[in-house]
Amino acid sequence: MKALRAVFAPGYVGLVLLFLYTPIIVMMIMAFNQSELYQLPFVFDLKWFRALAHNDDLLEAAANSIIIAIVNTLLSVTLGTLTALALSRHHFRGKAWFELLLLPSLTMPWLITGTAMMLFFFWTGIGRGLHAILLGHVALSIPYVVFIVRSRLKAFNRSLEEAAQILGASAWQTFWRVTAPLLAPGIVAAALFAFALSFDQFVISYFLAPIGISTLPVEIYSAIRKGFTPEINAISTLIILFSMGLMIVFARLSKFAGEP
Amino acid sequence: MLGSLALLAGPTYLWLLVTIFLPLMAMLYFSFLTIAPIAGPGGTFTLSHYVDIFTKPVYLINLKRSLIMGLEVTFFCALVGYPAAYLLARQIKNRWREALLLLVVLPFWSNALVRTFSWTMVLSDNGLLGQWLHVLWPGGPSLDLLYSYKAIVIGLVHAYLPYMILTCYVSLQAIDGTLAEAALSLGASHRQVFQRIILPLSLPGLVAGSILIFVPVVGAFMEPRVLGGQQGITFGTIIESQFTTSFNWPLGAAMGFVLLAVVLIVMALFFPLLRKHLN
Amino acid sequence: MSVVDIKQVSKRYGQTLALNNVSMTIAQGEFFSLLGPSGGGKTSLLRSIAGFVEPDEGSIEIDGKPMLNVPINQRDLGMMFQNYALFPHMSIADNIGFGLSVRHRSKAEINQRIKELLSLVHLEGYGERRPRELSGGQQQRVALARALAPRPRVLLLDEPLGALDKKLRDEMQIELKKIQREVGVTTILVTHDQQEALTLSDRVAIINGGKVEQLGSPREVYERPHSQFVASFLGNANFFTGVVCGQADGMTQIRLPAGQVIHSSHGAGRSIGSRVTAAVRPEKLHAAGSNGPGQPCNRLSGRIAHEIYAGNSITYWVEIGAQQVSLTAQNNTAPALSMGAEAHLEWAPADTIVLD
Repeated sequence: MKALRAVFAPGYVGLVLLFLYTPIIVMMIMAFNQSELYQLPFVFDLKWFRALAHNDDLLEAAANSIIIAIVNTLLSVTLGTLTALALSRHHFRGKAWFELLLLPSLTMPWLITGTAMMLFFFWTGIGRGLHAILLGHVALSIPYVVFIVRSRLKAFNRSLEEAAQILGASAWQTFWRVTAPLLAPGIVAAALFAFALSFDQFVISYFLAPIGISTLPVEIYSAIRKGFTPEINAISTLIILFSMGLMIVFARLSKFAGEP
Repeated sequence: MLGSLALLAGPTYLWLLVTIFLPLMAMLYFSFLTIAPIAGPGGTFTLSHYVDIFTKPVYLINLKRSLIMGLEVTFFCALVGYPAAYLLARQIKNRWREALLLLVVLPFWSNALVRTFSWTMVLSDNGLLGQWLHVLWPGGPSLDLLYSYKAIVIGLVHAYLPYMILTCYVSLQAIDGTLAEAALSLGASHRQVFQRIILPLSLPGLVAGSILIFVPVVGAFMEPRVLGGQQGITFGTIIESQFTTSFNWPLGAAMGFVLLAVVLIVMALFFPLLRKHLN
Repeated sequence: MSVVDIKQVSKRYGQTLALNNVSMTIAQGEFFSLLGPSGGGKTSLLRSIAGFVEPDEGSIEIDGKPMLNVPINQRDLGMMFQNYALFPHMSIADNIGFGLSVRHRSKAEINQRIKELLSLVHLEGYGERRPRELSGGQQQRVALARALAPRPRVLLLDEPLGALDKKLRDEMQIELKKIQREVGVTTILVTHDQQEALTLSDRVAIINGGKVEQLGSPREVYERPHSQFVASFLGNANFFTGVVCGQADGMTQIRLPAGQVIHSSHGAGRSIGSRVTAAVRPEKLHAAGSNGPGQPCNRLSGRIAHEIYAGNSITYWVEIGAQQVSLTAQNNTAPALSMGAEAHLEWAPADTIVLD
């Protein structure tokens, strides 16, 4: 009985992980497989990666995605961190409402957020394009940044800042020498999160991308819809490896950030 | 003080105003118009889109279908995810726990579209699962799951399972270990400890996970399109096509608000429990 | 010469009055304690002095200079926080040097001062460590060193020993007192631990309900409490309520409800027939037959209901009519009283404290 239980726990979790990883592993295998129709046996070939190097549409979309993700990260982290500071260091009437206002972009289906933005941007002349996609990504990222940075702010005691002040530090010195260094792991974690969120974001970009301009997920979607080429497997493999690399860094940092 | 506050938080709320709140208001406005006021002078006020949604079978059937899909996906995520979270939080120790948890979270950071797409390679009859099944069981039944409702549910469960595992894990591992010991010392069986201590205390995590899953699944359109083929029509895909192919924006907007209302009702029902979790 | 001058300070949080017209002055070099139950207002007062709380009314002056509108970082104070608030991302040396560094002192001066303080708190060689690598007691010393480094006008201590276990706390009290004497810095301590306040302070203010209940030397507030609250908050006390029935030769007689009369050498000026409450410390009571000091003339008899053994002392609860009176005896040669036995309690009139 005891032996059974000892096997059961890792066994069950192992099965869940198998379910989670099956499609990812299949995709990676297919990225290196020669057959276009996923036929087995497996024959190792890098031809899809070579083809990828000549697929200008995909590469341009990838470049767009990276640029948007970087600008999104800079903007959302700056705005989100300032908001987190305002919300946790000030007490004012109606604060609960301001916190509540962060929730819609977290909890509404992206389909609704995306179509509403598309309609509004079109109507007002903001239009569609990379700038519109950026507007949308930042709106989605800010609440996450606020929550990550705020939880970090909560984790370190307010008395650290008070201690700095009473030791003679000005508001500026307190921020740069105490608050900012302690906040840094949270800010880096938020930045990684914002980057990944933007880089993977499909729904919002899909509605805000005009014909001829696209981001990587939008380009992949249209390739899938058109009839697929295995180059998608190749680039997806690269994305997954890249995203997972980011995630591992993120996990390291948030673990570090968790320590008081 | 008010000035510095506005300086700190102002840009964020201005941004959200332009990208979230004004668009939502515009969408609400559009939903009551006969035609979208994009090209020329706009349409006139009408309730016909809302009337259509609640009277024409095509919308009602698909709304129901999307709701059922949301409930089913949420249910399967809980069924698979809660035990996994329980084992991770209360049975598996230390270094293993950290590594396994990281593995659970990892796929959720790879591109959702790509993950969904890779299921087509697994689920189609000549996909991997099918081919291996034929090798193991020659002459066995064909496993053609792709382009079916089942495929959509599998893809969505796969996409959202990590949310459920994470939220349940967080609330399960926050339960003080001595509570279970106290219950045992008072004569409770392991089963009773679970039913009367662990489950009620972890319920907020289960509810939070359910909301995080139900809300996007009800509005899903990409997964049904990629995995569902002809079967892949949901309320979400109909909304999407109003905006991208039929160009009936007012109808799409009205459908969007009906969907939002459903989501809000569900959130309102569970909000008391969710708030407890957030605190 | 007063260093800190608190004049009629009030502070309100919503409906609750945290500070109600509080005034006091603290002298140069004094070790002054704010003692009271939690929520009584002592922390609000300390934080008002520090500048974290802005009083609604009244003024706080340091060296004769009003502190209203003086920013926290220009008040020239040192403070030890309850959780120490050591900067986790800095070394011990950087923590200690922080106050000088933000004042843009020279590197050499800062390093010199860090060295002095590390040796003052006996942490030589710990400069390069991080706070989390130190024990609670060591962190506490670092917090003290950090607060003292910029040579503050006043040192504020907010329950600084609360997180330590009893033995370490006792050691740190002695250490703290020693260092305070050595440095000579005016010190204000907030604590809810009466023993800590009595041990460390030159003067104690007992604060409750936002008001100063009593202010005086530890001996004064313990031996001559003015109110029932002070008498019971500082140590233990038996209370007797009765009517003044005689005044002669500096002695006051109080008749208890059951008819016994007790004598007090305090309470002059109470008119005959007025109702008073008197307090007697359990350790001032003696069982007749044991060798009590002096010539006691108060005597009450009753039956021993229960006893509490505390190692160095034993407390007996004696039933006298409807009242239970406690008597604490040193665990020395005194003959042990037995449960259920008749006991005669005696004490000196000087130990009957008539409360206001």
